[in-house]
Amino acid sequence: MHNMQTVVDLSRWQFAATALYHFLFVPLTLGLTFLLAAMETVYVTTGRKIYKEMAIFWGKLFAINFALGVATGLTMEFEFGTNWAQYSRFVGDVFGAPLAIEGLMAFFLESTFVGLMLFGWDRMSRGKHLLVTYMVALGSNLSALWILIANGFMQSPHGATFDPITMRMELSSFTDLIFNHDAQAKFVHTSIAGYVTAAVFVAGISGWYMLRNRHMELAKRSFRMAVLFGVFASVGVISLGDALGFIDGHAQPAKLVAMESLWHTRTPPVGFNVIAFPSQKQQRNLYALKIPDLLTPLVTHSMNTVIPGADEVEQNAMVRMRDGIPAVLALKTLSAEPSNQAALAQFDAHKKDMGYALLLERFAPDLAAATPTDYERAARSVIPDVAVIFWSFRIMVLAGFAMLFFLGLGAFCSLNNKVHERRWLLKLAPWFIPVPYIACEAGWLVAEMGRQPWTVYGVFPTWMSASTQSVAYMVFSLAGFVLIYSIFIAVEMYLMVKFIRKGPDDGATAMLAH
Amino acid sequence: MIVLRVLLYAVISLVTVFLVILLGERGAWYFAWVLGTVMIVLISAAGGALLDAQEEAGSSDD
Repeated sequence: MHNMQTVVDLSRWQFAATALYHFLFVPLTLGLTFLLAAMETVYVTTGRKIYKEMAIFWGKLFAINFALGVATGLTMEFEFGTNWAQYSRFVGDVFGAPLAIEGLMAFFLESTFVGLMLFGWDRMSRGKHLLVTYMVALGSNLSALWILIANGFMQSPHGATFDPITMRMELSSFTDLIFNHDAQAKFVHTSIAGYVTAAVFVAGISGWYMLRNRHMELAKRSFRMAVLFGVFASVGVISLGDALGFIDGHAQPAKLVAMESLWHTRTPPVGFNVIAFPSQKQQRNLYALKIPDLLTPLVTHSMNTVIPGADEVEQNAMVRMRDGIPAVLALKTLSAEPSNQAALAQFDAHKKDMGYALLLERFAPDLAAATPTDYERAARSVIPDVAVIFWSFRIMVLAGFAMLFFLGLGAFCSLNNKVHERRWLLKLAPWFIPVPYIACEAGWLVAEMGRQPWTVYGVFPTWMSASTQSVAYMVFSLAGFVLIYSIFIAVEMYLMVKFIRKGPDDGATAMLAH
Repeated sequence: MIVLRVLLYAVISLVTVFLVILLGERGAWYFAWVLGTVMIVLISAAGGALLDAQEEAGSSDD
């Protein structure tokens, strides 16, 4: 049991590491494609060559990022099979379809058009090339859509039911799966976060060029287009962040507890913890700086809705564990006698709480003999790591508002056509490039660590989801991934810096154009 | 040429109406993404074109 828990922890570390590495590449791909499309749209409508140069130069940086993004993303799909075999068996019927469509979108739509976009400048008419660029943008974002539909199911399972005979989740409504509110809000939030990343990236490099008085025509136009692109996208990201908080607040109360470090249920309106030092063990905040009455309207969009604290979430979990035990016991009967009608009826009556009984099973392998201590330990495990999620959430929000401020300021200076004279802004711009990446990584930590201890929220616990690999295999493969992905990051940084330093006037630009 | 443009805009309108009907209440955020992305791309493109106009106006003033 102890060994198995180590394998589960190592599997989590491995998936987290590969996902976080992969997500260093994805946001720029999502956003830069649409920014390239905007630049090319101006080229096609006005015929000005500078916009073609812009599209080619930024397209080259996109190509470096895209190649490494695909390379790092591939392994994650295999990890579902190698490290999360139980999870894949349990939800494969639901998860497989969006994952397969994502593969088609990424490899057939996006990758096919990427080649045409990069090397087709003089082989197609301007209009056709523009269409290709839009297809690349659409393909990259639609591939993200399908991944996030699958992820939305893990966060808030809709559109599937558990079959007690086959012992796995089966798709009951494809439309419920794709129109899941969590998936929708998460997709738009993630996609537009990519737009902000691309905007800050292009503005940062353009600012660096202007500071050195290099490629001024390209840099001024790129900066203008990027900051306008980014300032509207930032407003969208913040709006969708609010929507996602509202949706998750209902779907995953334990995640909300962790995001806000809310240990006790209080009479509304509840104060907002700006800063808190939570103690998971003592289930309280060692210190908290609060703004009175702010959290309730922020999270519930009302002044009198009760927000459940950790104490209430744990109590509810205990009730659901007790209610779910007959469902799990019925499953054990059904695995030996699938046609046992009494067991089927017992399962049907308690199936909504089956996941909570499975969660309890980690602490009490013999569910019928579970002690109050087992229940308490299982209930406490329902609350994810509060300190990590609380601070990751605040880092993400702070970074989001900082980028809105920077892009707004950039847009104001650029619209006055004075940006090249504002040297302090140009100096600041490159320093902002890491900020959207930090925000994106922090956002993923909130979303995925906040879902714990579940792989499918409220249905299937993480402790049951991993494969039966050995600890040595997990340590070896984790070390291998970290090493290889670190090399990928180093290669990306080297190539990016090399091509940025060279600027748009090198041979590669000409090669792509002819 | 004008007829072609009118036809193009008519097709875009039809696609938009179709998307609204298809997504309706269930896919409001997806529809918001489509509209928002189109708006962001067009505003960004307009910003580039506006800079050209500003530069031309500046050089003609000189």
